[in-house]
Amino acid sequence: MIENQNTVEKAIYKININAPIEKVWSELVKTDAVLPFFFGAVCRTPDELGVGAPVAMETPDGKHRRVVGEVLAFEPPHRYAHTFKFTGYEDRPCTVTYELTETENGVEFSLITTNVPAGTKTEKGMAQGGPFIVRTFKSVVETGKAPLGARAMLFMFSLMAPFTPKASRSENWDFAKIQTLGA
Amino acid sequence: MITNERMDNVFHALAHENRRRILDELRNAPGISVGRLASNFDVSRIAVMNHLAVLEAAGLIVSERDGRTRRLYLNVVPIQMIYDRWTDDYSGYFASRLTAIKYAAEGAEKKEGKND
Repeated sequence: MIENQNTVEKAIYKININAPIEKVWSELVKTDAVLPFFFGAVCRTPDELGVGAPVAMETPDGKHRRVVGEVLAFEPPHRYAHTFKFTGYEDRPCTVTYELTETENGVEFSLITTNVPAGTKTEKGMAQGGPFIVRTFKSVVETGKAPLGARAMLFMFSLMAPFTPKASRSENWDFAKIQTLGA
Repeated sequence: MITNERMDNVFHALAHENRRRILDELRNAPGISVGRLASNFDVSRIAVMNHLAVLEAAGLIVSERDGRTRRLYLNVVPIQMIYDRWTDDYSGYFASRLTAIKYAAEGAEKKEGKND
């Protein structure tokens, strides 16, 4: 694939998680449950997660799909990657890769963003979202819940729900359409 | 939570101007090679390598092999965890209002070492 020139260099967010790798993996690829580390969204996929499967990060009420994508890599319990498109922005999809490496005190967990279009809202969103996701994810895996600050933020998100753009409504992003986005 | 030992490593790594400048360089040019990074500093390549080892031990940088080149990336997460320890969204909101006023009044760039 020819890399588009207008992309930013990849970014890496890395954290150590004190839990067995299977536990980290199963939290990461959980579907049909509220994911505090993913801004309280629910990961939906028509069948089950695997390469080529469409994914939609849906609000718990099912009304909006703010992020959609297609699974690019699914190698339990080490690697999971999917394309990532904010439905509220016109930008083309970027790629998010999660890597899990077992260490002596748990798991080294990395979130890597690549192919992010430069100078876009997507770039800003990834830069703000990356640290939130990894640290909230660590807390969810280790303690079963999001840290206090993140919970306050999640509450704020729930208040913002009425302002979600129409473009993000779930009916605009069925799985067939998501699969036409391409990698 | 972040262990005290890990936090010691982070503060130790941040307690040196050249190491903070290395993080500036990595933020401005993610994926920069060790050679190019070292050429931006007046100190020896060995000294830069030693700083990189300290930063890497603290988890502040991630390095990746790309053929014969070692590429470096800033990992902002340990700094976020320092912030998380003492700040929440409420105090963070007002604290950032204050710093925003300071930066505006002083005409200062919020991010030191940012080259744009």
